[in-house]
Order: sequence, then structure tokens, then C-alpha cells
Amino acid sequence: MALVWIDGKEIVVEKNETLLQAALREGIYIPYYCYHPSLSIVGQCRMCLVKIEGMPKLMTACNTYVPELPKEKKIDGKYDMKVYTRTEEVKEARRGILEFLLLNHPLDCPICDQAGECQLQIYSYEYGNARSDFRFEKLHFPKRVELGEHIVYDAERCIKCTRCIRFCNEITKTQELTLIDRGANTYVDTFEGKKLNNPYSVCTVDICPVGALTFKEFRFKERVWFLQGSNSVCPECSRNCAIRVDTYKGEIMRIVPRFNPEVNNYFMCDFGRLLSERIKNKELRNSPAIKENGAFKVKSEKEFYTTLLSKITRKYNSNEVSVILSGRMTNEEIEAYKVFSLIVFGEVVGEFLYVTGDEDKILIKKEKRANYFGAKTLKMKFTKENEDVTHLIKNKKLVVIIRENVFKGKKEEDIKKNAPSLETVVTFDTFFTETAQLSDFYVPLAGWFEMEGTVINFNGQLQKISKCITPPKGRKPFYDVVSTVLTILKDMDTSDFKSEKTKEIESIKKVLEEFKNREVMNKGFYPWFKEVKNAIPEIKNLSLKDLTSFGIFLKESGNG
Amino acid sequence: MAEVEKILTSRIGTKSSSDIDSAMQNGAYEALIKALTKMTPEQVLNEVKTANLKGRGGAGFPAGIKLSFLPKDKKSIKYLVCNADESEPGTFKDRLLIENDPHRILEGIIIAAYAVNATSGFIYIRGEMASGAKILEKAISQAYERHFLGKNIMGSGLDFDIYLVRGAGAYICGEETALMNSIEGKRGEPRTKPPFPANYGVYGKPSNVNNVETYANIPTIIEKGGSWYSKIGSQDTPGTRLFGLSGHIKKPGIYELKSNVTLRELIYDFGGGILGDKKLKAVIPGGSSVPVLKADEINVTMDIQGLKKVGSMPGSGGVIVLNETVCIVKALLNLITFYERESCGQCTPCREGTHFLRLLIENIEKGEGVEGDCEKILSICKNIMGRTICPLGDAAVMPVESFIKKFRDEFEFHIKEKRCLPETFKMTTIFSE
Repeated sequence: MALVWIDGKEIVVEKNETLLQAALREGIYIPYYCYHPSLSIVGQCRMCLVKIEGMPKLMTACNTYVPELPKEKKIDGKYDMKVYTRTEEVKEARRGILEFLLLNHPLDCPICDQAGECQLQIYSYEYGNARSDFRFEKLHFPKRVELGEHIVYDAERCIKCTRCIRFCNEITKTQELTLIDRGANTYVDTFEGKKLNNPYSVCTVDICPVGALTFKEFRFKERVWFLQGSNSVCPECSRNCAIRVDTYKGEIMRIVPRFNPEVNNYFMCDFGRLLSERIKNKELRNSPAIKENGAFKVKSEKEFYTTLLSKITRKYNSNEVSVILSGRMTNEEIEAYKVFSLIVFGEVVGEFLYVTGDEDKILIKKEKRANYFGAKTLKMKFTKENEDVTHLIKNKKLVVIIRENVFKGKKEEDIKKNAPSLETVVTFDTFFTETAQLSDFYVPLAGWFEMEGTVINFNGQLQKISKCITPPKGRKPFYDVVSTVLTILKDMDTSDFKSEKTKEIESIKKVLEEFKNREVMNKGFYPWFKEVKNAIPEIKNLSLKDLTSFGIFLKESGNG
Repeated sequence: MAEVEKILTSRIGTKSSSDIDSAMQNGAYEALIKALTKMTPEQVLNEVKTANLKGRGGAGFPAGIKLSFLPKDKKSIKYLVCNADESEPGTFKDRLLIENDPHRILEGIIIAAYAVNATSGFIYIRGEMASGAKILEKAISQAYERHFLGKNIMGSGLDFDIYLVRGAGAYICGEETALMNSIEGKRGEPRTKPPFPANYGVYGKPSNVNNVETYANIPTIIEKGGSWYSKIGSQDTPGTRLFGLSGHIKKPGIYELKSNVTLRELIYDFGGGILGDKKLKAVIPGGSSVPVLKADEINVTMDIQGLKKVGSMPGSGGVIVLNETVCIVKALLNLITFYERESCGQCTPCREGTHFLRLLIENIEKGEGVEGDCEKILSICKNIMGRTICPLGDAAVMPVESFIKKFRDEFEFHIKEKRCLPETFKMTTIFSE
């Protein structure tokens, strides 16, 4: 631990920390290109040059460690180092580096996707020269090179910071990239016969400080300054990578990883990121509908739920009912489901599908449902690992499916064959899936990026997702569906349920009575978040304010 | 004329001097046997330190001190590296030693290995020196046969192997950390320091890199003692140096001389004067990377202090003589083109700066320079100097800065008149491209 004087401020630099890291931590900004907190330090860009007292030359802050001086040698009696980051010499050096970087850099900012979030633009504006003395032809390099399936490289824009190369060497350890040629002719390319197609390849685009590496799916889509970013987490596995969803006029333009040291650091996998592409052109319905004579008829909310509830509430014995639930449900939706189940079935029934797949040692986890551990924490039941769904519907009369496409690739005949007794299928899902099409009742739900909610990852990190885009009125989160059901039930004549068992009607009344004065009757996320808090002792007193963008760690949840 | 003392070249010129038998007839490996049988490693290291042997690669760092940076323990793996990637323009001294007296180099490395308990050695030889590599390869196998290499050398308990690694001809691989990367099979790019080679060198193990000529001095130091050696020649660079005379000189070649010889003596007494009896225009005194000297700056000794007086350095000992027929702009263009091509491209100032410098100088040479170009060149130099990872940036800038400062008139003449000075011939260059 050393004490450093830097531009009049006193900062502490730890033993394993560089001057740049400490300065950034303490809010003293030193510009840099090649440094990245997750990658090795190479000191190549020379942008972070600072003046250190007693040193004849300017030093790069990124690879300067601060040894503790013996007492008698301390500067001004107490400092281990004195650093100046704003002297004329330092400013001149920065101007010099920027002049060099711009020599052969095409000024095609008007058509460059990086414009607006380009470190070369930002630093040129902040530290650079207003004019250039370079009156020669710029060097020409390969342009529009498809390094991989999702990556396009422009060597003319490249400033050779080698972050992408180090990413592939150190994070994914796949070693696809290298520098080619020497001197001013240097550029990045893949090794012969290799392509940049590792599962994290697009992260190279994120860490590229300039527009050299671009994400094919986002190229020329939108100027970044028009994008609206919202915090969310990736729903594709139980890692729950923190992400920022960039939208423009209600459309998701791209998904980028968001820094969360507890979960994913700076990165995310390509599969998760490409979710933005996969959800495009999927069929969506915006109102609940009932199948009549083989075709779905859209109904008003009240009519729909009255019909649905009178058809399913307390009609079947529990062994005749199968409810298939999904780890894609947020904690709030799960809590809401519990209430729904109490009313309709008199107890909490249903099983979550335990869907697993490949995992790796970087980010990708085995459980392929984002809130698998949330459902576990909320003490829900699970099927066996990747269990075949035909098991679950065998000999059932009523099947309710929430957020799972269990009949994917199946035809009506197949289902009839497996479950000849099946009378009613109810599906709640965002997309109008095969399952939805085969059901008798379909309720469209708000999608992952269309609602508020909390989820818990494999490690027990609770994070919040937010409404990145607003869905049409008819598509709601499942908790809002339950709020609606409660409201409708309140006004319903319970004899509509056509149940002869007065005891059960009494029990529904009891549930309703219990919830009458609870806030969940009003729609929205917050009352259901309270229900979640009541269900998890560890966060009983958590306020949303305490939930930083990193979330909060729950000891009792997750794999530990 | 200064007295000629032969330390490094004493065996050169004898019959089949690269062969171990004839080399041993002339005293090869006697110092090694002395060190192994009569001295402790600490004593050996102390002799080298006492000798104040300065590195001969160009930077002139004290070799004994550098060796003592290696960890002291006996167990850990330590590597010695011999830098035979001689590629500085104007420098060809190591080649002479490699081709004519390889056993002196090997003996020096093995003695150093004994002093610091090194486990293996690498000789990194420039790719173009094909015959040198062959000779060294043969010398190494002969040394194994005589048990000067291998396990338990001469019964001393020292295990030491030497591996010969051939480079691919990149100038930058003469920089010690780029050299280590190259040995590992990586791109020849200098590493950032820290960590320093003494802690993290070849394959991440503590390593020590020294020049061929530096190692070649060690046998004599052990044989005759450090204090004897330290008294030879100049105080700041004791011993003799191999000076390589080239360019417009009557008798080009390698001269082994004490470092307190003056540049004038070197050129006129040993080199026989300027080719064609023309007027001397400029001298680059220590390989292409050091600041150039004008004709009236040659009355200095060839040691650190002497050359410092005229703003230059001894560098690698390659003395390039330019007579009055040389167009100084074209000469500089030749040099900067070399540095532009040899820049590894890793760090910004060197990669882009040398390119910019070449374009500007080329433009002046072509007669397309504009007023203010000299100022621009100097400001670029300022932005490269001391701002790069390795010394290649500085090495490129030092000749440029000095050429412009010392021959400003000729540059301005070029810019204004769009041609060379009348007395120079355009076709004359110091190095062919």
C-alpha cells in the first residue's frame, strides 16, 4: 500500500495495483486505449503517459506499480510517488499520440457505427489537435473483412491496441487473432484457416475502442446516440449476465454486456447477445383468445377470464391436472402463480421444467432457464433433468403451460395419442408458439424485455430486469394476469364455477378475502416484489433502492 | 597512434581459428578451467564486476551488475541469452567473432553460467548469418565432445546446455525482450518492463541477455583478473572494443582498439583516411542509432565521456564515415526508411511516427518539401523520444534529430531549391536499399 500524490489529491495505491487502476478507482481520469481491466497489461497505446516526479521520461500509468518508499525517502515526508496528469508536457504527449493515431485513420465517422461511442473521437475532442499536419496519402488496409460470422473488421480504422487479440488469448483461450505485418503496415487478422467464431466473439466488438471491429447484426442499423439503453439481464442461462438493451422506437437494436463484477464482468456470450435477432419476426398476439371450432377468437379480458375460470377452477382432481412452469418466469411471476394456483386448484401445484445444456468455464451455465435458482429459492418443484413432456401430460385432463413451448414440433394427433383424456390446454406465453396454437386458451404475456421483475442466478445474485420496451396493453407479465384474475374473481358470482362442493367455494372466498386488502389487487411489479420479499427471509427488509445495478447476493440461494 | 592490445581478436587470423583444437592450442577454455577448478561462482562474478565490463550491444550497461540481478538461489531455472542478432546498420563486429572465434564466445557464456548457476543458454543468431550459425553449431557440438557443455562440466557439478536459435532477420529482435519473445516462437515484439528479464525472461524464467562481444571479454577477465582489465583504456569503458569502420573510408574493417582512441585516429590513422581523398562531411560513431557528428567533432575519444561531449554515444562501435559527396537528406532518408520498416508496430509513437518521419524526409528529398517541414520533423521526434516501449523509437529519432540540427542548412536548401547541394552526387548512398 502506497500513498500517492496525484494532481493535488492523495490516493492509496495497493501493492498489486497499477497507477492507472488506482487513479480510475479514485475518479482521476487518465485516458487509455490498450488497457482493459480484464486483460493483461501491454502498455502499447502510450495514451496514459503521465509525469512522475524524479523520472526523466513520461511514464505509462497503466504499467506503473508504486513501491513503498522507506520512511526517510518519502516525498514531502509522506508520499511514495508524486504524479502529474495535467502538465503541459503530458498534454503535449497526448496530443502527439492522438496525432499519430489519426495519421492513417480514415475520418469516415459519418458512416462509422462506432461514431458517438468511439474513444478516438472522444479523446480527439478532449485531448487532441484541432488540425492535422499530415498532407500525405493515408495507408490503405483491408476493409470489410469478415473475421467471423458476426464480426466485420476494418483495418484502416484499427489503432492496434490488441485488446481483441488479448481477449481471444486470455479470456476464451481460442487464439484466433494475431497481428500481421510490421510497423505502420500492422493490422489484425485471423491465423490462416481460422475464423473468429468462438462463443464470445462479439465481445471483441465491445472492447474495440474504435470502429475497427463491428457487429454484423448491428452494422448500419442506427446511430448510437439515438439508442435508449435499459438495464436488464440475459435470460438464456442461469448466469444472468448483466446486459444493456439498446432500443430505438420500441425496437431492440442490440444487446450489450453491462459491467457486473459479481456476475459476468464485462462480457457475455454471443448466444445471449443474439437473442435480439432470434426474437425478431416471431409471431405475437396481443389479446387473450379462446379456440372455438378450431380457430382462436379474441375475447375481452373480462369475458375471457370468466370463461377460463369457470372452465378450470376446482373442476379436476389434482391427479388430473398438470401445470408446466418455466424458469423464464421472474420471482414475482412465480409468487403470483402461487396465488393463482391456490385459487384455481386449492393448492400450489405444478412443476418447473429443468432444462439443461452445455456449459463452459467462462460464463455459459448448464441451466438454460434464467430464473431456475429463483424458482428453487421460492421452493417450487422441478421435473427431472430434461424430462420428456409426454410423461407430464399422460392421463391428464387439464394442462396449463406457462412460458414454455412444450409442444414444439408436435402435432395435435401426437398429443391426443399420448393423452387421449386431455380436455383443456391453457397456455401463457410471450410468443404465439406451437404450444399456444395447440391450446384451447391462449394468454399472451409480456416478454422478458417488456416487464419488470427480479431473478436469481446460479450463484445467488438477485438482479432486476426492467421494461426496456413497452408491450401492447394486451400483453402483460404473468403477475398482472393474476392481479386481473383476482379483480375479476372479486366481482364474480362464485356459483359460476359450477362446483357442487361448497367447501371449495368457501376456500376460494378465503383466498380472495386474504388478498382483498393486499396491494396485489392493484397491478404492477412493486406489490408482487413485496410478496417475493415476504417469501425470501434474506431480503425481507430489502428496498429497491438497495438493489444497485449489480444486484444483491443471497447466501441461501444458488449453488453457493 | 594508440597502442594496440588484442583481447578479443588474438586468435583471429590463426589457422582454422574456429576449430576447437587450434583454438585450444591458443588458450581457449583455459579461463573456464581456471574458473571451474580454482574459483567459486561468487569470485567469478566479482571479477566481472571489478573489471567494470560494459555491455557491448549499444547501451553500455555494466555486465557484472546485470548478471547479479539474477536470483541467487541454486535451485531455480535461470537462462543466459547471448544476443547475436547483430543487425544495427554499420555494425559487423559480432559476425567476425562468431565466424572466426566461436569458442571465445562459448567460453564466456559458460563462465558466466558458472558464476550465476544458470541452467541453459540460448544463442540467438540473426537469420541472415547462415555461415555463422553453421560455425557456431559445430563449435557447440565440439564443446559438448570436450565436456565443456552438458552435465557436470569438467566434474565441477555445473550442468549447462547451449541452444542455438536462428532469428528471421528482424532488427527489433536484437532488443532483449523482443529477442526473448522470438526465442519462444512469438512475434518479435518488445515486452513492457516491468517485469524485467532478470525476473521474467525467456519462458517466464529469470534470464540475462548479453551481447556476443560482452561474453567474449569474460575469458580474458578471468584469466588476467578484473582489476587488470579495468585499467585498460578508458575508465568508463574499460578493455578494448571492436570498431567497425565502413562508408567512405580507405581501409574499412574491424579494428580492436582501446576505447580511448580518438575518432580522428580511428579514421585517419587506422582507417587510412577518407575514400577518394575527399573532405569528411559526417561520421556516425556507434551504429546508425546514435546522433551523427560533423567533420569538426572528431577530436574526441570513443568512450562514453568523449562522445558525450559532442552529443553522441559509443553505441555498438559501428563507425560510418560519410564524405562530402553524400547528400545528407538522402542519407537520412535511407536511415529512417530502415527504422520505419523495422518498427514492430506495437506501440503508437514508433509505428506511426517513423512512418510520418519517412514521408516528410522523402518529400524533402524529392523536392516537395515545404517550409516548416524541419520544425515538424523535430516536433515528431519530440513525440517519439522516450515515449515508446523499447529503444527503437529513440534509435530512430536520434539520427533524425541530429541530422536536422547539424545539417539544417542542407535540409533548408533542399526545401527551397528542390535539389541536392551542388557538391553532392545524387547517386551516392551509404547503404543500398
